[in-house]
Amino acid sequence: MTDSMKLFNSKALKNIKERKKAWQKQAFDLQKKRQQDCHTLSGIPIKLLYTPEDISDLNYFQDLGLPGEEPFVRGVYPTMYRGRSWTLRQLAGFGPAEETNKRYKFLLKEGANGINGVFDYPTLRGYDSTDPIARADAGRGGVAIDTLEDMQILFDGIPIETISTSLVTCQPICNIIVQSMYFANAQRRDIALDRLTGTSQNDFLMETAITIGPEVLHPKYSFKLCCDAIEYCTQHVPRWNPVSFSGYNYRESGCTAIQEVAFVISNAVASCEELLRRGFDIDSFAPRLSFFLSAHNDFFEEIAKYRAARRIWCRIMKERFAAKDPRALKFRFHVQTAGVALTAQQPLNNIARAAYHGLAAVLGGAQSVHIDGYDEALCTPTELSALTALRTNQILQLETRTTHTIDPLGGSYFVESLTNQLEEKIIELLEKIEQMGGVVRAVENGWVHKEISDAAYEYQRGIESGKVPVVGLNCQRVAEEKLPMDLFEVPETLLIQEEKLEKIKKERNPDQTRRALDAIVDCCREDGNLMEVIVDSVKSYVTVGEISRALKDCYGTWNMPLF
Amino acid sequence: MPKRIRVLIARLGMDAHWRGSIMVARALRDAGMEVIYLGNQLPEEIVEAAIQEDADVVGISTLTGNHMILAPEVVKQLNTKGANEKVVILGGTIPPDDIPKLKDAGIGEVFGPGTPIEKIIRFITASS
Repeated sequence: MTDSMKLFNSKALKNIKERKKAWQKQAFDLQKKRQQDCHTLSGIPIKLLYTPEDISDLNYFQDLGLPGEEPFVRGVYPTMYRGRSWTLRQLAGFGPAEETNKRYKFLLKEGANGINGVFDYPTLRGYDSTDPIARADAGRGGVAIDTLEDMQILFDGIPIETISTSLVTCQPICNIIVQSMYFANAQRRDIALDRLTGTSQNDFLMETAITIGPEVLHPKYSFKLCCDAIEYCTQHVPRWNPVSFSGYNYRESGCTAIQEVAFVISNAVASCEELLRRGFDIDSFAPRLSFFLSAHNDFFEEIAKYRAARRIWCRIMKERFAAKDPRALKFRFHVQTAGVALTAQQPLNNIARAAYHGLAAVLGGAQSVHIDGYDEALCTPTELSALTALRTNQILQLETRTTHTIDPLGGSYFVESLTNQLEEKIIELLEKIEQMGGVVRAVENGWVHKEISDAAYEYQRGIESGKVPVVGLNCQRVAEEKLPMDLFEVPETLLIQEEKLEKIKKERNPDQTRRALDAIVDCCREDGNLMEVIVDSVKSYVTVGEISRALKDCYGTWNMPLF
Repeated sequence: MPKRIRVLIARLGMDAHWRGSIMVARALRDAGMEVIYLGNQLPEEIVEAAIQEDADVVGISTLTGNHMILAPEVVKQLNTKGANEKVVILGGTIPPDDIPKLKDAGIGEVFGPGTPIEKIIRFITASS
């Protein structure tokens, strides 16, 4: 690079180098007394001070760009939060659909402007509430959905034609059914699919590596279901983000910031390859691929992580896939504050933790943010906890004035240097996955599981040895803790679902039900797009359990190489 | 050589989180115990596996909130099958108010969020 394109001229850099030498000697003597080993949570060493020397090669337009311009490090939109604030998308879901519908309406009334619906454990794994293995978990961790009727109740009175909805379906086997129900419900309400806006989670790693259930599809089939939804939305629901690559959850399972971004991007790359194989143009679907990342404890590393992810994604989309639509180059992401960083001890401290996490997300340029409730290390958030979390998000948005200028940490010697180092390490890992034959292979052979488990184990040992301080847990503890708040109790779900299911099974047309399920089986055999079929099937009130059973019977199940 | 302690670890019902149970399993193995790791199971299958595998300790993990329904059932079924010498321990997001109730139901110890694994190892070593 010629000196004229550099941000700092060589004479100035030389001057800094010399004066820093003298300073360093003094600082080094002082620092020696405090034997501190400083590195980021993912292991990158941190210096006492960063100066222009650390980013002396930075080429402004090549490496950062203006907001809304390549490589989007400073943000994906030209005006960022001045133009439009991030979406306040607070997660909600528990019990039967009737109860969650009330919580959605409560959050919307209090100023949330997007729905973030989470489903209970049985729904996420494709079981009816009444299945023997599911009964004790009906309504836990999310809302119970058994048939289209539950979806109708869930969104009753909510204007889905104007509000954007995120469906936290997690695994493709849940997504292909629940997202189909959401679309079928819209059609029942005479809302054209091309008016719907929202996102579904739909990440095959969620099904095969990150969380675990009783019967897991083989990664290649789970991946197929994910891509079916992308294909369907590209053709019929153009404003819907059919997948949200869920680095957040990878992180919750224990991986580092570097692994989080490497795994989501390798996952997205695999989806691009598959959609190209199916004959789609990169610009027809890539603008709708979206991401979901965590905001964990290491404040600056998290901010640098978001910035690095934007640069890497832009370059891959351009150089590898030759994408031309600028929207295809933008790494758009939702952030949830790290649940795993919350403590059950002194739980009100979690309000402060989540606020710092949220601030990192906003300084990193997130498109939507969920702040965790203070009670989430113990239970589903109560109404008070959910409201406090929403208010934390609103305080960030309205009071802190962090929204007034774009990427306020851009140009920080430290943050830019950390962004570069993270980028380098993420690319290294991406190349490793590529050499392994891509992310689907890396899951099949258990490598991803081992990577995450090893990182989690190291982190756990760090906490136990006290090397990683956690306030209230391994330091600043109180002897006899008394819980300062009420905990949430899941409302009765099983009996309600049992009644609804019994009634539906009695009233639905058995021939129609059979034809609907046969169509799914035929589609599996012919390797067709399952969402095309399931959006119609659910209208015959076949259940989540019946559909997923048909899929599992066709594809078989797989043992996750966890241990 | 003394017999190594055998620990069976399972996730209750539909619980989807593996991080906690895998961390405990790895640490117990590193501490010289034999660990049998089951997937998601209902009490009946857990008990059957514990008897077949001749486990000294049954460790169950759940973060879903199903513990008051399913965990006491594990103890009850072990007793029915005459395997009451096995110690049952439970880990996960367990609200403090539930802990005395679970212990009354025969759960040996409950390890909530943030428990150092060292504490679990000490408990198992002392009770086997």
